[in-house]
Amino acid sequence: MATKDPAMEERLLEAAYACVARFGLAKTTVEDVVKESGVSRATVYRVFPGGRDELLREVVGWEMGRFFGRLAEAVAGAADFAALVEDGLAFAHRAMAEHEVLQKILVTEPDRLLPLMITEQERPLRFITAFLGPYLEREEREGRLRPGVDQARAAEFVAHVLLSLIGSPASWDLEDPEAVRRLVREQILAGVLTDAALAE
Amino acid sequence: MANDAVSATQCDPGHVDRETVIALVSQEMETAPGTSVMLHPVETPSVPTRVLDAALVCVARFGVAKTTLDDVAGEAGCSRATLYRHFANKAELLGCAFSRDGDRIIAEVGRVAAEEATLEDALVAMATTAARELAEHPALSFVLSHEPELVLPMVTFDAGSQFLVRTADVLAPMLARFVAPARVERAAEWVARVFFIYFGEQAATILMTDADQVRELVCDFVVPGLTNVSSQPQG
Repeated sequence: MATKDPAMEERLLEAAYACVARFGLAKTTVEDVVKESGVSRATVYRVFPGGRDELLREVVGWEMGRFFGRLAEAVAGAADFAALVEDGLAFAHRAMAEHEVLQKILVTEPDRLLPLMITEQERPLRFITAFLGPYLEREEREGRLRPGVDQARAAEFVAHVLLSLIGSPASWDLEDPEAVRRLVREQILAGVLTDAALAE
Repeated sequence: MANDAVSATQCDPGHVDRETVIALVSQEMETAPGTSVMLHPVETPSVPTRVLDAALVCVARFGVAKTTLDDVAGEAGCSRATLYRHFANKAELLGCAFSRDGDRIIAEVGRVAAEEATLEDALVAMATTAARELAEHPALSFVLSHEPELVLPMVTFDAGSQFLVRTADVLAPMLARFVAPARVERAAEWVARVFFIYFGEQAATILMTDADQVRELVCDFVVPGLTNVSSQPQG
């Protein structure tokens, strides 16, 4: 079992991300990452034995993780669960539209990017689910959770719906706070929070 | 939004799956650049069912990218010339084949929904029927497992929004018995979104062919989002 070196892994992923931003997914090679990071080829293969394929998959998962990490920071101060979900949707929608590398590759290489994002979407799903947990616990303590709601299932459901809405809002205008409020309180959380909590 | 030339063909009444799949297979087109993917009008009675069946058999065996019109002609026991009499190219042929089955599945989902007395029962029947039909479709299963890059651009991000809106258009009439007219479009979109999330889930936490698991999902999270809404008109 090779020892993991998180700092080295981070350094290589950062370099790989810079390469992907510059060259795209198809044209990024291990050689590019070697040059960009200043790390030897042998080291790259020691950290990512799967080489280029593994690096590209990992870099997509890594950036998705960073994206949702920033999202979590941005909404951490929300007053309650419903406000958290509302803020999260609005922030994520904006952040995604402003994510230049994502938007570029969605146009130039969707066929390469999307399968990687789907493979790696477990990561943000787990992250969002875990992030929502404590907020749901607080709602439960304060008697604002609908009777019989299973917190873990609710967190997972909400995480899935958020991920879906962030990418594909369909008929909802996520830039309209009133629309987001209705979406969150009348649909997403209708089965999660009590009517009183939703009406606040 | 939907392009009229496509919907106007008589190959079958076009909707969700036709558009999706035509866009999907258009990437594989062998035709000259600039040639549009529009279907030429095809007369329903003369489109041989066995050609469409053969096309899907080939896709289930080789995938979209590797299926050729020769393969399909061989499988159907007809000549290439016969195929070309009905279809301009592979994209059009596969588009027709997938959309025929898509329409059949939609009709089946509508049929099972109509048999149920409550919203909850209707949603469970709709989801489990669709999940079973999709899982038992060998050509679609092959493409989803081995050529996801052909499907994902059609069902994610902006295209995903359009896909959900089109799917909602198909589901709305099935829900009209249970939901007020002013809310039925949004309700249908909500149903489409939740079901699509779990149909597509790889490490599925909810098995959509399992009626008990679907019922839990529907009762706990889906129906409240359909009925617990204010009377405010949706905009």
